[in-house]
Amino acid sequence: MRKALAPLLGAAALALPGMNAWAAATAKTKIVTRTKTKTFTGALGSAQRWGYVEVKLVVRKTTTTNRKTKKTSVRRRITAVRVPIYPNHTDRSVFINQEALPILINETLAAQSARIQMVTGATYSSQGFEHSLQSAILKEKRW
Amino acid sequence: MGMPIVVDVRDVDDETLLEPLFDWFREVDERFSTYKESSEVSRLDRGELEPADAHEDVRAALERCEELRAETDGYFDVRAVRPDRVDPSGLVKGWSVDRAAALADELGWRNYAISAGGDIRLRGGALPEAEWRIGIEHPREPQRVLAVVAGDDLAVATSGAYARGDHVVDPHSGRPPAGVLSVTIAGPDLATADAYATAAFAMGRGGPGWTARLRGYEALTVLDDGRVLRTPGFPVEPAAAMLG
Repeated sequence: MRKALAPLLGAAALALPGMNAWAAATAKTKIVTRTKTKTFTGALGSAQRWGYVEVKLVVRKTTTTNRKTKKTSVRRRITAVRVPIYPNHTDRSVFINQEALPILINETLAAQSARIQMVTGATYSSQGFEHSLQSAILKEKRW
Repeated sequence: MGMPIVVDVRDVDDETLLEPLFDWFREVDERFSTYKESSEVSRLDRGELEPADAHEDVRAALERCEELRAETDGYFDVRAVRPDRVDPSGLVKGWSVDRAAALADELGWRNYAISAGGDIRLRGGALPEAEWRIGIEHPREPQRVLAVVAGDDLAVATSGAYARGDHVVDPHSGRPPAGVLSVTIAGPDLATADAYATAAFAMGRGGPGWTARLRGYEALTVLDDGRVLRTPGFPVEPAAAMLG
């Protein structure tokens, strides 16, 4: 019986290397952390007279599981904000946005490090909502 | 009302438990919508319904509109854009969220945030956070956050140009206000905060001075030259001060 059992365990360990690693680590720690990164692309939005902008958020999702208590906590952080479409339909807006876009990126990151959950503003019609920062925050939470 | 409503409750896991709040907003829409011919407000407007016969909520909302008009020296005036129309929409947005918050309290929730069209009422925290944090949208670039407001029992409303595609006008001149991009008001009651934000925005450059005298309500005003003026007690995050 013992001989037959050993290869079976070996096969199981081969199929589930993660489980095997966990078994080895369990003597020391019972906490397992997994990290995934995903990019969210917002709908193309009109930034008033500056033209069109598209915002991409790169979100890192860290799942921490305590094997002993079975408790799982999920932590999501925005690690980058990209604005791939530069409004450039007039010389004036090119000039403004070369100044403005890096500031936009910094401020969105600053806001995230402050972990905002909602946005207050005057432009929240239903039509504008899907392009809004509020909408991007909701999409990120659903993931 | 044609506006997005966002309900974030951290006390419950099951989305279906939020339905009583959405039922309430549907009821408000049925009664107050100016887009629905059958609503009480539309019938009042066409003279088919006498104010005395309207639902108590409709009467209460119209009375509160009048009180706030007096309180704001006439600058919050639901008849400012169309004097011939009955349209309490400017009050109903905040008022309906206040009532939804009361409903949330009755349901035993202690950690929630409710937003109607970017006007927000919050309580407790965004668990596991101890507080809620609200970004104030940049009035010229909607994807930019200008500052962050934090609190555990607060109403926050913003008024500015381009709100829902219609204009806030100065009721005394009939023209859109000059010199101001947006006004955000924070305080205990959302209907009042919203009315104060609309009034202060309609006042133009005179708005910040008026907000400085409000009791129980704090204000942050963005001027069209990029300056940000706020009252000393406005609950802005320290990190955001440099963003002004």
